[in-house]
Amino acid sequence: MLQRSSQRDARGAIVAALLTILGIALLPAGSYVTYALVWLAVATAGAASGYAPLTLARRGLIALPFTLAALPLIFIRGDELIWSGALGSAQLSISGAGLRIFLTAAVKSWISVQVGTILVRRYPIESIVGSLRALKLPDAIATGAGLTVRYVELLRGEASRMLRARSARSASPVGETRERIGGTIPWRAKVTGNLAGALFLRAYARAGRVEEAATARGASGSLSLGSLIQPDARLFMKVALAIGAFVAITAAGALLPRV
Amino acid sequence: MRPLLHIPDGFLAPQMALALWVATAVVIGIALRRIGQRGPAAASQTILMGLSGAFIFAAQMFNFPVAAGTSGHLLGGVLAGFLLGPWAGSVVMATVIGIQALLFQDGGLLALGANIFNMGVIGTLGGTLVARGIAATFGNARRSTLFGVGVAAWLSVMAAAGFTTLQLGLSGTTDVSIGLPAMLGTHVLIGLGEALISVAAISFIAVSAPEIFAKSAPTAPTSPRRRVAAGLIITAATVSLASLFASTSPDGLEKVATDLGFITTSQAAPFELFADYSIPGFDGVAGTALAGVIGVLVVLLVIVLLNRLASARKGS
Repeated sequence: MLQRSSQRDARGAIVAALLTILGIALLPAGSYVTYALVWLAVATAGAASGYAPLTLARRGLIALPFTLAALPLIFIRGDELIWSGALGSAQLSISGAGLRIFLTAAVKSWISVQVGTILVRRYPIESIVGSLRALKLPDAIATGAGLTVRYVELLRGEASRMLRARSARSASPVGETRERIGGTIPWRAKVTGNLAGALFLRAYARAGRVEEAATARGASGSLSLGSLIQPDARLFMKVALAIGAFVAITAAGALLPRV
Repeated sequence: MRPLLHIPDGFLAPQMALALWVATAVVIGIALRRIGQRGPAAASQTILMGLSGAFIFAAQMFNFPVAAGTSGHLLGGVLAGFLLGPWAGSVVMATVIGIQALLFQDGGLLALGANIFNMGVIGTLGGTLVARGIAATFGNARRSTLFGVGVAAWLSVMAAAGFTTLQLGLSGTTDVSIGLPAMLGTHVLIGLGEALISVAAISFIAVSAPEIFAKSAPTAPTSPRRRVAAGLIITAATVSLASLFASTSPDGLEKVATDLGFITTSQAAPFELFADYSIPGFDGVAGTALAGVIGVLVVLLVIVLLNRLASARKGS
């Protein structure tokens, strides 16, 4: 019997993703050969899931802005200097140790994002929520997450219509970009807050209707949203493979050369 | 303008990530227990929490133009905490942050515990308690409630940014002396936007649905001692945060004295407890912040003593 994609058991994949990300996080700084091998393995898994390696690599750049946090280390650490000189009126030096920390954090986050991307590509979010419930995620969080996922598009639609109404009622002065329409910044924030308040009231009313409907259908207590319909028969094999991958990543990090 | 609070995987040391997972699990566990204690009302609370999660996602689409192509948007932690209660609000934010990490890879899976801790526990739970504390301190009127929400929303963003930087610093992936001012400096404006939107949203709800506002706003009278304690905490937190932006330049009199050359005629004070707002053994920002907190305590002590003296004289 074919299973609906939202009912598929993602427990094995979740454990594999978490162990892979943990393995990557535990890799020593500067293990560039291991990073390359792990990325090849991840890209292969991505290709098997229908993700072209370059598309997956581009998707991994989503965490790029956060690398700014590690960027200063390249210039302020005084150890292992690889270049020092003047850039205009400023004295600048590049630290090998700082560069290693920066590259390590950037590459690790880049690969980890791709691992998460493959997980979501293979399993829809409803399936992941159901599998997390099967992995003993508390009922209130699983039900809450199930409802959030179920109603997010509906409320985003409401929000889109409210934004369209705001745009339709806001004339754009000649020669001004739309970013500058409206009054002062506090006024714009007030309008935005009003929209948020109105949307909350709609969500509140919707919650009341959902509760009424559930009560009418005889539900009491938990709604058990996001339940797993059919467990994966090969779960133990998948978890064993995930543990094997974790051990392989850790061993490669310990054995392969570092820079 | 987008907040940089969702830490991706690879930036935190594994020990730090796991420790924050444990801390988050403990707090969220307590929150779930508190929600569960509501008995039959817990089921309807869970439904409202689920819809509120969807609301937070959708409300984050509401951006407002700030200047030159940048815009701010709602994060929603204090808003959710105020409307649903601090415990339910923190669970909602934990769910939203979890879905953001899973669905959009906005923040890592191993770093999820840290992200929930910074935004869901510190930002939402802590922020809502601060909002309620401020509202109670000033008498729980509508204005004081809105003031409390505004201050707490701003503080929640700043605290989340501060904790994020400290965790990165302890993991060795940033330099706190550079990262902290940079992060807090950026998030000052983001926090301001968060405060303005949160206040406007609560104000709108107070007018449009007073029964929901009345349910959310704390109404219990507060004892004078609790008011003083809340005021003390808020003042100490504000002084500590403000000290991060303290200028190292001389004040007006010192500058004039230096320029006109009579600074050398100044005489040292007969005693110096915390010269130049520094505490022995604490360098830089930590020393200045601690000196500020000690200053707040000394002022409080003086006020309490003067108050007692005045009361004693009045009695006699």
